[in-house]
Amino acid sequence: MTDDATRTLGKGSAPPGPVPEGLIRLYSMRFCPYAHRTRLVLQAKGIRYTPVQKEFCKTSSCKGHLDLEGRATLLECGRLDGASSKPRHEVININLRNKPEWYFTKHPFGHIPVLENSKGQLIYESVIACEYLDDAYPGRKLYPYDCYERARQKMLLELFYKVPHLTKECLVTLRCGRGCADLKLALRQEFCNLEEILGYQNTIFFGGDCISMIDYLFWPWFERLDVYGIADCVNHTPALRLWIAAMKQDPTVCALLIDKNIFLGFLNLYFQNNPDAFDYGLSC
Amino acid sequence: MSGGSARSLGKGSAPPGPVPEGLIRVYSMRFCPFAKRTLLVLKAKGIGHEVININLKNKPEWFFKKNPFGLVPVLENSQGQVIYESAITCEYLDEAYPGKKLLPDDPYEKACQKMVFELFSKVPPLLLSFLRRQNKEDCSGVKEELHKEFSKLEEVLTNKKTTFFGGSSLSMIDYLIWPWFEWLITLELNEYVDHTPNLKLWMEAMMKDPAVSSLFIDPKAFRGFLDLYLQNNLEACDYGL
Repeated sequence: MTDDATRTLGKGSAPPGPVPEGLIRLYSMRFCPYAHRTRLVLQAKGIRYTPVQKEFCKTSSCKGHLDLEGRATLLECGRLDGASSKPRHEVININLRNKPEWYFTKHPFGHIPVLENSKGQLIYESVIACEYLDDAYPGRKLYPYDCYERARQKMLLELFYKVPHLTKECLVTLRCGRGCADLKLALRQEFCNLEEILGYQNTIFFGGDCISMIDYLFWPWFERLDVYGIADCVNHTPALRLWIAAMKQDPTVCALLIDKNIFLGFLNLYFQNNPDAFDYGLSC
Repeated sequence: MSGGSARSLGKGSAPPGPVPEGLIRVYSMRFCPFAKRTLLVLKAKGIGHEVININLKNKPEWFFKKNPFGLVPVLENSQGQVIYESAITCEYLDEAYPGKKLLPDDPYEKACQKMVFELFSKVPPLLLSFLRRQNKEDCSGVKEELHKEFSKLEEVLTNKKTTFFGGSSLSMIDYLIWPWFEWLITLELNEYVDHTPNLKLWMEAMMKDPAVSSLFIDPKAFRGFLDLYLQNNLEACDYGL
């Protein structure tokens, strides 16, 4: 079970309180690939997950912390129980088919992911959120220091831009019982372009011999190839397959790997327009 | 700074040699708004550069080795490193060269500039489709969409209470969105910002910037270029030379 396993908030839910000091909040959805990027970066930067219902003040006099659903409210005593100086993050999952009214104050169109910090500053668009985290938090830098190498990673991202749309279209088409041969062909072509890059560079990862930001930005869609039913699209791209295998060895990627059965359960409900789809697999 | 007003290179032209030490080369086209972004940053940062104009209606074969997408702008440095996509070239120049930083150091302020950039992203294709349609079909739908997009930008300025999109002084985001507002001026479409007073004031402030004013396009040349370009004329890119 991944670490963001909380029920979604939907219409009629109470807006969450301000983000406590020392925390950054991510508005997300457990199966969204764009939000997945941001969760990978949070994990890779060591900005540890804080479950909203735990690790809050146990001081008996402290009134402000949590309601029964575990929604964060203003911490009156200003402390986190057992708080260290290490930065942490919390996740609020949003029901994308039944968005809370208050969520449109976080993003004009109600998109995810959105970051909110303790100053109330909001950052959205997944790539912008990932870069913000890399800039704002100390420790391991995911983007290279060299400005040309940084530019290269951003150019690589441009090469990737058709992949999300194509993989989604394949999924939708297959789920509607139609063939998606044309779409798969187009997707294979995109994968060939990426294969060429790896071949030209002769490195395992897209940024060099070590994993870096660009690999995390690509990963969510490759993790979904199998569960979307299009894993054969990498049949003709051996370097890409090696990259996938190497990514699966990465501790950050592993920590957030989504269980296949749970994902399939979500997809089944989602395509039946079941509003509970987004909470599939949650025990609480 | 050579080559800004040089004839463009087209199919069959010889590929240029390596970039001399101490300079950076930009592959450009005199009327391309995306390339204009890069030229503005080069100017604003005082970076020594040379310009090679590309005939976008008749691209040289060698140009696709510089940018597989075949688009301008492209930067090439003396180490043979190539950078393309206008926003990426601008950020690279800001990071690689000393002097005034156009992007803020603060991570949140930097993210804000990128969010405004996303907010702006519908304007270039809208404005282009508006220009293609003028005098042909009814373009009131496009006009309305443009109004909507400009209102979004107006809201940013209203909320920030500053003259420029990044604060009280001109910064990267202003240069990135400027070229399309320059079009409004050269094509005398200023009425499009009548309902967005802060945007209007911003345009006036931008016109006072030395980089902006030194690179301002001659309206006659631009109109001449546009007519030929929309007709897919191979000579469009060199209009006025």
